[in-house]
Amino acid sequence: MSKKKGISRRNFIKGVGTGVVGSYVVVPALNNKAAKNLSDNEELQLKEGWQVLSLKVNGKKIITKVKPNTLLVDLLRNELQLTGTKVVCNQGECGGCTIILDGKPVYSCQMLALDANGKEVTTIEGLLLGEELHPLQQAFVDEDGLQCGFCTPGQIMAAYGLLLKYPDPTDEQILNGMSGNLCRCAAYPKIIKSVKAAASRIK
Amino acid sequence: MKNYDIHQHVQGKSIFIDDMRLPAGTLHAEIFTSNIAHGIITSIDTSAALASKGVVDIFSASDIPGENQVGGMIKDESLFAESEVHYVGQPILLVVAESKLEARKALSKIKIEYDKLKPILNPREAFIKGSLIAPPVTFELGNISAVWDECDFIEEGTVESGGQEHLYLETQAAAAIPHEGEKIKVYSSTQAPTATQRVVAGILGIPMNKVEVDVLRLGGGFGGKEDQASPFAAMAALAANKLNKPVKLVLNRQDDIRITGKRHPYSSDFKIGFSHEGKILAYEVKFFQNAGAAADLSMAVLERTLFHCTNSYFIPNVKATGISCKTNVPPNTAFRGFGGPQAMFVIESAIKKISEKLDVPAYMIQQKNLLREGDEFPYGQRAENCNAKKSWNEALSKFKYEERLQSINQFNLENKFLKKGIAVMPICFGISFTSTFMNQASALVHIYTDGSIGISTAAVEMGQGVNTKIRQIAAKIFSVDISIVKIESTNTTRNANSSPTAASSGADLNGKATELACLNIKERLLNSAKEILNADLSEIKIENGSIFVNEEKKLDWEELISKSFLKRVNLSSHAYYATPKIYFDKSKSKGNAFAYHVYGTAVVETTLDCLRGTYKINSVKAVHDFGESFSKTIDLGQAEGAIIQGIGWMTMEEICHDLNGRLLSNALSTYKIPDIHFTPDEFEVHFLEGAKNPMGIFNSKAIGEPPFMYGIGAYFAILDSMKAHNKNLDYDFKAPMTPERVLLTLSKNIKTKIHK
Ligand code: FES
Ligand code: FES
Repeated sequence: MSKKKGISRRNFIKGVGTGVVGSYVVVPALNNKAAKNLSDNEELQLKEGWQVLSLKVNGKKIITKVKPNTLLVDLLRNELQLTGTKVVCNQGECGGCTIILDGKPVYSCQMLALDANGKEVTTIEGLLLGEELHPLQQAFVDEDGLQCGFCTPGQIMAAYGLLLKYPDPTDEQILNGMSGNLCRCAAYPKIIKSVKAAASRIK
Repeated sequence: MKNYDIHQHVQGKSIFIDDMRLPAGTLHAEIFTSNIAHGIITSIDTSAALASKGVVDIFSASDIPGENQVGGMIKDESLFAESEVHYVGQPILLVVAESKLEARKALSKIKIEYDKLKPILNPREAFIKGSLIAPPVTFELGNISAVWDECDFIEEGTVESGGQEHLYLETQAAAAIPHEGEKIKVYSSTQAPTATQRVVAGILGIPMNKVEVDVLRLGGGFGGKEDQASPFAAMAALAANKLNKPVKLVLNRQDDIRITGKRHPYSSDFKIGFSHEGKILAYEVKFFQNAGAAADLSMAVLERTLFHCTNSYFIPNVKATGISCKTNVPPNTAFRGFGGPQAMFVIESAIKKISEKLDVPAYMIQQKNLLREGDEFPYGQRAENCNAKKSWNEALSKFKYEERLQSINQFNLENKFLKKGIAVMPICFGISFTSTFMNQASALVHIYTDGSIGISTAAVEMGQGVNTKIRQIAAKIFSVDISIVKIESTNTTRNANSSPTAASSGADLNGKATELACLNIKERLLNSAKEILNADLSEIKIENGSIFVNEEKKLDWEELISKSFLKRVNLSSHAYYATPKIYFDKSKSKGNAFAYHVYGTAVVETTLDCLRGTYKINSVKAVHDFGESFSKTIDLGQAEGAIIQGIGWMTMEEICHDLNGRLLSNALSTYKIPDIHFTPDEFEVHFLEGAKNPMGIFNSKAIGEPPFMYGIGAYFAILDSMKAHNKNLDYDFKAPMTPERVLLTLSKNIKTKIHK
């Protein structure tokens, strides 16, 4: 159905966020507080034990300060405004918040931001290859692998992690790899088709 | 045709309420709720919470400038409890703080004391105590008392079906922004923008024209955001209005599950009379509906239970009574199927009982009693374009039912602890709101001077693809490329007095309104082209974005539009649609309540591990009446999703309360919904051929709800597996059929054997 060209596995992995590798973003801490002046800010941060965090998100180097209890998902959504990653259960039960951390899919609601220090994060926003959809995204489009779309970023990131591990997954590996991601619209039959289509396209 | 938003969805670019970039200084709200099921509040102390860091204010019932009322059909539900609390999770206060975390922290600093009262948790207990939402409702056909004597056999039984948590992945959410002149704009995750607007206006004590409700999309609704989104919008609006700042309220999962209502649990008694050949002659049924602590939509849900009490069978003598019982759980509400599934589960159970009595497979009884053209429903409407038998026959032959039965029997002979089961599930579901007045919709279509088209309707997109269908309708009528058609958010300022997007009718009603609006403009455009091209109307054709005179291309779409604009042709139209020919007389419980019915038949197969109680749904195959679908991809997705959700309701989704009315299954760790493993290995939904529907848009049929009820087949297939293990199984008709229930039922039977 799709006229999109195939893509090599190398590009599949390497392509992520290539457009911005090397760029550098410093997020001002406490960005939505009406702090009176910097020293107040600093005093508060000191009291609350804020720490410097440096990580790579979608190819961009990020250096910021966070409260030690900040969740990774909150850092992504609130500080970096990467709202593609969703919070659904906040309990590690649904996969809505799935991201890739150093090549592995993880639930970002179950991780402290500080635990990502020095690591590399890929979110749904980091999958685009320039202007083009990543083959996984394209496969979800071609196979209609969604309904309301709320679980979709998590599904795609879980599938991304699955295909990194098993480039040519068996049916069972697909079911196991995707079983941590709930879809209440129950688009499952088409999610399975989407993952299969992506696998064959990436091969 | 695919979901309109699919490109955005796969990039994570689609905006839901919690993703919106709200103005700086937006405040966050959290709800303080009752932690007892019934009692009188004796004291509340908010001083520590108010002093808590970041807290801006705390609101209670006494801060409401308007009326403390959110009830839609019956005015019996307050936004915040005043003195008496009626369920665990009932909102009492709203804490507003600079951040969500600060608001949450403050919740734990609120001190409250109650005089506890004994809660009622069971609908039958409520009935005995006279705790009802409204008087019972009865539907009657024929003369039931006269025919019992003519029946060869009479069977009686009790059937219980459980609730179901909607678990839309996007929780209830709203953001309210105050505007000049006491106006307020509310972004809400609601299926019913007008109802939300009305509730917000009522709470704030301002006219509806000062409240603008805007809905971009929902991360799932399933009925849970039909009546129950409004209170959260009203809370955000109240705080925004009082503080003159934007306020956001996004429920966390546990709060959402605890505070909001669910599918109604039912406890039902039936009595069924039949001939020795299995012909059903009389059916008497009493439904005790667990409505929860307030009316919400319970009476409408109950009515639909009565409408569908005979599913796709013709029974000449019926008496069906529905009793909506008031209990101390959150007000239960709409959920895909809206009372229909609960009714169908009872009649299917009764049929199972007949089959056991006569010692014939259930499908033979089902087949013998299927509706035929012209048969009368208990509410007086007659079956028209009836596809009950057609879909049944096609399903049984296509899926080689008899052969499957044989191979299942063979498998069961060869296996001691693994047993296969099979069931057929026919459905018949009426399409229209059963409250006739709600069957109306409007559409506003603009063509801009560059030729692009913008459409606003009353339909809310929640994954069901209604926006895509509306786009298709406009593109088809104007014969332009679909890419130039844009669907706007659903907004009460553009489409007033709208019905909720519910009852599977969103695409029908709003699609028809869109069709009318487009046809209005098209007629003007043709007349304009006639003048511009100096041709006869009969010679002009608009096709694929071009304007032809006698097959010769004369203008582009864009040229026609810009020229028409200069000629002062009105390029906008607002159209209104009301479903014709339907009515229902509530005082007699008779009428042509539905525009049409949807039919279909599914065959479900399961394998049961009799030692563990675990099962696998191996196969679900259905022949479904989509009418003439013009959006097959979307309709198929809806059917598959509904079936899996229906199976979930019947099998694994179990709502549990403790004896004090506290919800135990209050998170995703304790409430399980189908995951990807649950997808049947063989899953086929076929389009019933030749099922044209003149009452639907482009001859299609509504799709959202009907396939949900195929899920009931899973229950009976598992039961069939259990009976393959123990032919004389002693069991109750009780859903969900969780693996625990399977195991307990099987082991209960083993014990009786040993004791004998
Ligand atoms: S939100 Fe993280 S697993 Fe559900
Ligand atoms: S598409 Fe709606 S939850 Fe998956």
